Amino acid sequence: MTCERIEELLSAYLEGELGASERAAVEDHLAACPACAELLAGLREVAGAMAAMAAFPEAEPSPALMARLYGIPERQAVKKSWFRPVFDFLTRPALQPVYAAFTVLLVALSFVLFHPEGQAIRNKIDIQFNRGVGTVEKLYAEAGALRGELEGFTDNVVKSFKTLDLLKESEDKP
Amino acid sequence: MNLNEVVSQCLAGSQGAWRTLVDSFARRIFNMAYQFSGSRQEAEDMTQEVFLKLHGALPKYDPAKNFTAWFLTLAKNHLIDEYRRTKWERAQRDEFDERVLAQAAHDGPEASLAEKETKAFVWEGLHRLSAEMRTVIVLRDLQGHSYEEMAGMLGLPLGTVKSRVNRARIQLAHVLREAKGGTS
Repeated sequence: MTCERIEELLSAYLEGELGASERAAVEDHLAACPACAELLAGLREVAGAMAAMAAFPEAEPSPALMARLYGIPERQAVKKSWFRPVFDFLTRPALQPVYAAFTVLLVALSFVLFHPEGQAIRNKIDIQFNRGVGTVEKLYAEAGALRGELEGFTDNVVKSFKTLDLLKESEDKP
Repeated sequence: MNLNEVVSQCLAGSQGAWRTLVDSFARRIFNMAYQFSGSRQEAEDMTQEVFLKLHGALPKYDPAKNFTAWFLTLAKNHLIDEYRRTKWERAQRDEFDERVLAQAAHDGPEASLAEKETKAFVWEGLHRLSAEMRTVIVLRDLQGHSYEEMAGMLGLPLGTVKSRVNRARIQLAHVLREAKGGTS
């Protein structure tokens, strides 16, 4: 057996869990290998120290800890006394439609934001929006042109009336 | 008084019953937490968390079960979970002497200096182990659980538990050898 294999078996060897043939193989190896024998001696020391520590008398919890432990039900009751009304308020049946609407909104929003085709949807919305803006701009420009024409027409009419007045005045003067 | 009666009185809001529960189990839970954490301060925090958990879980306790076994399982699971979650690497460990002082009485006068030194080295080494190693060796060598029980508690295959305990012990043996080599 190799040293690695022996290492794997040492705890089982110490705890008497090996079968006769494996036990004999381990003992043969240990007799011939000082490194593994030393490791086994170390494991025995560790086992002794652990057993001694396990047998230590139990430590007493401090009075401060005991006081904190005794006070748990009271502190939890205080917590509940502010928590309960908030919880009750939030779970009122009257708020259910609000939560439902909010959920629908979130679903719709997440669909637009996270759906694989969300980008395409956003692009479409952008195109529609830009088209709308384009149409409004066009209408505005047309309106501006129409206004210019109307102003020109008004000027002409005013001029015509003025000319007519002048003509009338010259006719009145014999 | 029967523990089940104490529990039902606790559920009815009796302060006295809760004190009885604390008095019956605080020392045990505190010592278990101390074995895991190696620090008195952390053990106190853990003990408080375990009792908080108990307070929340009491309504779910089935009186047909053994209360002590139920509570100790709850406590152990909490400690193991906490150990896995935090690895408990944040806090300083108590010195071995502090641990000895924390215990009411320990080695008799016959204990040699070398034995005390070995224990101090093993205590040091224990806190240098990884979370996984330390959990298994505490459960096995300090709390005396069988490998089967540990496999159930940790949710690991029996073979893994056994080999982890073996590796943890070997690491401790190496730590011990290095420490003694350094001092001699």
